[in-house]
Amino acid sequence: MKDKMFQSDRVLSYFRAEWKVLLAVTISGLIYNVGLLAGPWFEGRMTGYLVDVLKGAGTFSGMLLLVAGYAVTITIVQSSRYIKRFYVRRFANNVNRRMKQILYGSLVHKSRASLREEGEGDVMTKAILDVDDCAEGMRKFTTEIFDTGVALAAYIGMLLWYDWRLALFCLIFPPISYVTAEKMKKVIQRTGAAYKKQSGALSAATLDRAKNAITYRVFGCEKERQAAYEEQLTAYEKSAVKANIWNTVLPPVYKVISMTGVLFILYFGQKNVLGTGWSAWDIAAFTTFLSCFLKLSVKSSSAAKLFNAVHKAQVSWKRIKPLLVPGEEADQAVSRNRYQKMLKSEGEAALHLRHVTFAYPNGAPILKDISFSAKPGQIIGITGAVACGKSTLGKVFLCEYPYEGEICLGDTELRELSMQERCEAIGYLGHDPELFNDSIENNVLLGEKKDAEPYLKAVCIDTEVNTMPDGRQTLVGNGGVRLSGGQAQRLALARTLCHPRPVMILDDPFSALDKKTEAEIFSNLRQMAGDAVILLISHRLYLFPQMDQVVWMEDGGITVAPHETLVKEVPEYEAMFAAQEGGAGYEA
Amino acid sequence: MKHSLHVKTIIFNTVKKQKGLSVAIVLAVAGAVVAALLPPLILARIVDGITAGKEVSVPFILLYFVLLALTGFLEAAREGLLTVFGQKMTHALRSSLMEKFVRLTADNVNHQEPGTLVSRFVGDVDTVENLFTSGIISMFADACKIISILAVIWFQNRGLTFVLLVLLPFLFWFTRHVQKNMLAAQIENRRAVGRASGHVPETLHNIRTIHCLAKESYMEERYDTYIGQSYQAMERTNFYDAIYSPIILILNAIVVAVVMLLSASGNKNILTLFGMSAGTAVAVINYISQIFTPVESLGMEIQTIQSAVAGIHRINEFFALEERKENGDRAEETGMQAEKSANEATGSDVLPFVEFQDVTFGYDAHAVLQHLSFSVMDGDQVTLAGRTGAGKSTILRLLLGLYEPQAGAVLIHGVPAVAIPNEERRRLFGYVEQSFHMVPGTVRDQITLYDPAISDEAVQMAARLTGLDEAIHALEKGYDTICTPELFSQGQWQLLSIARAAAANPRMLLLDEITANLDAETEKAVLDALERVAHHRTVISISHRMSARMGRVISVEAS
Repeated sequence: MKDKMFQSDRVLSYFRAEWKVLLAVTISGLIYNVGLLAGPWFEGRMTGYLVDVLKGAGTFSGMLLLVAGYAVTITIVQSSRYIKRFYVRRFANNVNRRMKQILYGSLVHKSRASLREEGEGDVMTKAILDVDDCAEGMRKFTTEIFDTGVALAAYIGMLLWYDWRLALFCLIFPPISYVTAEKMKKVIQRTGAAYKKQSGALSAATLDRAKNAITYRVFGCEKERQAAYEEQLTAYEKSAVKANIWNTVLPPVYKVISMTGVLFILYFGQKNVLGTGWSAWDIAAFTTFLSCFLKLSVKSSSAAKLFNAVHKAQVSWKRIKPLLVPGEEADQAVSRNRYQKMLKSEGEAALHLRHVTFAYPNGAPILKDISFSAKPGQIIGITGAVACGKSTLGKVFLCEYPYEGEICLGDTELRELSMQERCEAIGYLGHDPELFNDSIENNVLLGEKKDAEPYLKAVCIDTEVNTMPDGRQTLVGNGGVRLSGGQAQRLALARTLCHPRPVMILDDPFSALDKKTEAEIFSNLRQMAGDAVILLISHRLYLFPQMDQVVWMEDGGITVAPHETLVKEVPEYEAMFAAQEGGAGYEA
Repeated sequence: MKHSLHVKTIIFNTVKKQKGLSVAIVLAVAGAVVAALLPPLILARIVDGITAGKEVSVPFILLYFVLLALTGFLEAAREGLLTVFGQKMTHALRSSLMEKFVRLTADNVNHQEPGTLVSRFVGDVDTVENLFTSGIISMFADACKIISILAVIWFQNRGLTFVLLVLLPFLFWFTRHVQKNMLAAQIENRRAVGRASGHVPETLHNIRTIHCLAKESYMEERYDTYIGQSYQAMERTNFYDAIYSPIILILNAIVVAVVMLLSASGNKNILTLFGMSAGTAVAVINYISQIFTPVESLGMEIQTIQSAVAGIHRINEFFALEERKENGDRAEETGMQAEKSANEATGSDVLPFVEFQDVTFGYDAHAVLQHLSFSVMDGDQVTLAGRTGAGKSTILRLLLGLYEPQAGAVLIHGVPAVAIPNEERRRLFGYVEQSFHMVPGTVRDQITLYDPAISDEAVQMAARLTGLDEAIHALEKGYDTICTPELFSQGQWQLLSIARAAAANPRMLLLDEITANLDAETEKAVLDALERVAHHRTVISISHRMSARMGRVISVEAS
């Protein structure tokens, strides 16, 4: 952040950061709101002058002057209004964008465990939604300072100036209307909440019917569910009527209440004009006063809306504020240096696991005392029966949970690296391809300035991609839904190859592919990987004879040997290998 | 019974059913239009009176206010009544939609994306409601308002009527232009907002990859791009939003100015058209600002009507989907079939539980099953074997009566499977699939599927049989615990699935790959439970794994 003074958890900071926009808002807002008085004033003067003209006391050119003044003034006032409205919204947009950037920035740096398991992901998602309410509230607040605050004050001032006693009389009513609205707010909120709940229930019931339709049909329960849905509809109708009726019926009523003041204006106003009242008025003053009051009562009815918006904004601000506290940014330059040094010192970094033991928090140990090493350029196959812990072994390298023992890259212990350094050292591809809703090319490159072609070729997807209507620019859909399982898997592998790391862990990258493609990709993989260590976790063993070493896992422990040795020494491995080589029917 | 559902007929029926309400709405609409016209006229008299130096009587002032209040109250009544009416309408529409949904063929049901269906039931119906609450009726009211104001002005200031008649079409065109552009920008914005808000769950889902590949700043940039896109679209909306009413108000002022100027011109010819008293001037200023509001609303209403038309179109499309034949329609057919089957069966002593007679079936042009014949007797335990796509699951679907064979017959005790009445289904079949379909509700609801005929004893019995009883009792609220996906492990859900199937004590179990998603240990528990449940029942199961423990094998070959 360039602005050193900017404190992301202070509301004022956001106002300060947008001072230019706000200045435009302030100037145009003042012109507009003070200028609003010009309308009624001119209207009164024009009517008054018309009377003069009809009496022969006024001239056409006098009227022309007045009319021109009126038109010009209104144009200026309304142009200011345009400027004010436009810039207030720009202000809200800027704030909205800035808050979201900050929230997202802190979200993307949080660890997977805290996001997915400790529910911080949900909190952040909600917070990002809250930003909309918050920015909207700040916008309304800024708008209404002028529109309600300044404008009401100006109108009231003008009324008082014309006839303060009459003004006081008729000004009783708008507040009464406002207080009534405030009192009714509880009812509206209560019925509104009930309505919202019912409408959620209705959506849920509809979704249930849609999702489980076949289940209900198979079990012959459809009629009962239809009856239950009907009940749901009746409840919805009731709550909807209750909630909406207040919202639609009350505003005209409030308007009537605040208009009651007109009675006084007409009665005492005419006395003023006739010279028997509190002040001496001409017809112009009468008209101005009347139209001023009408505008005021319309304005004051929107005051309730303002308070609601501001209240809502406060609530959402309170929720997001703690998440906006600026975090300490890691000094990236330093850590990068350290990492470069580490790589240099190793020359060829070999991977060593020594006595690694692992259990999930509060779980039984899954990995027990695992030790093996891999030299640069080696591909290690890891396999075992279902639930033997092979995927867990892959995940240990992510350091999402603490492990015991040592995992060393050259001389450097993995857990001593910062997250950044570790990510530079270890590449990981899990079961879930984790594709992004973007084009094929962007999914491979993720912003790297490279050519995607060689990577697509390496995973044997290039011809398929070229036959797609948009080629490499084809969008893969949310989570890659528009691709087949095999395509998604290969795309994820291409992405991993595009981001090479000294150690790469691939968890079952070929499970959805046929044997021939698997073999082809494997040979490309070996070529592209160069000096990297690859740990290939798989339950399919066709390629295992080509591995530099095989790790056989059983009950959390391991046996490490080349394929030929394992076949001879571990009967389970031999059986598994033979079953796959022989029985093509295994492929479920 | 002939069912031709259509949005139009439903609306018409609702109006017919709610006669009183409909009449009241008409009265309120008309009343509000007329009442709104009167106050400015009275105001004109008052101002003229004052100008002439006469004091206006209090009742006259009161009349002004009463009429003002009356307008307000009539408007309130109109809005309130419309709300009630709109809700009656949506209720009727949704009921009919659900009625239709129940009658859809299984094929059509499967083709309905749940999310789309919800938006049809909820969103599209709401647009139809808007058609009434803020569409045609308020449009009618607004049109009346414009016409009546023009009529009144005609008598007050003829010239102004001409000015307005020239101006209004332009005003209307301008309003529509702005609204169309705003709508386009809003749609663009919504799309961009969708992308931006989709980015957050995607980040959460892919966080491992993002961290592993050190793509944090890349993701931040992308997020900012999406927000930027929505920002640009929003800026366009803001522009139109900000410019519209200033322009309208400037126009308003110009019209007032022109009228004032002309009436002060002193030229006789002009004065025949524009001449007016001070009172009329006040009234005219009042009317002019009144006429601009309905024009603006008119534009909005057109938009509402447009989206409602699209909604109605989608609902009607849904209503036009193919229905399965009513069970009732089949009564005759069934009787005949049963008789026929009975005749055919005279050779043997008992009818088989299930009989496929030369069945051919496919979901589209491609036939899945061809000339398949087999039968399963009461008490048989049978496994269907064959490659993926050979049509094993299809056999179960035919058997459950979800689909009708294209040729041949699928008979359950001699009766076509599709003709089995709903009430009997659950006593006949218990169907267990690869994965559990959770319904919203408690653990008990999962087992009963809200069927009141299944007693608490039956529920517990079923749970005990599957060995799930203990786990359920261990829950804080036992059978009344609200289900969430985390409540049970995958194996336990599958046991619950078996309990659901067993609860009504069906005569036959249909098992479709029920252990496919389970690891070996859980599989064993599920199979054990199954063995207890399957005791003394007819069973047809599908399994890829050849380790299935029971029965005769019928092999199904892909055609």
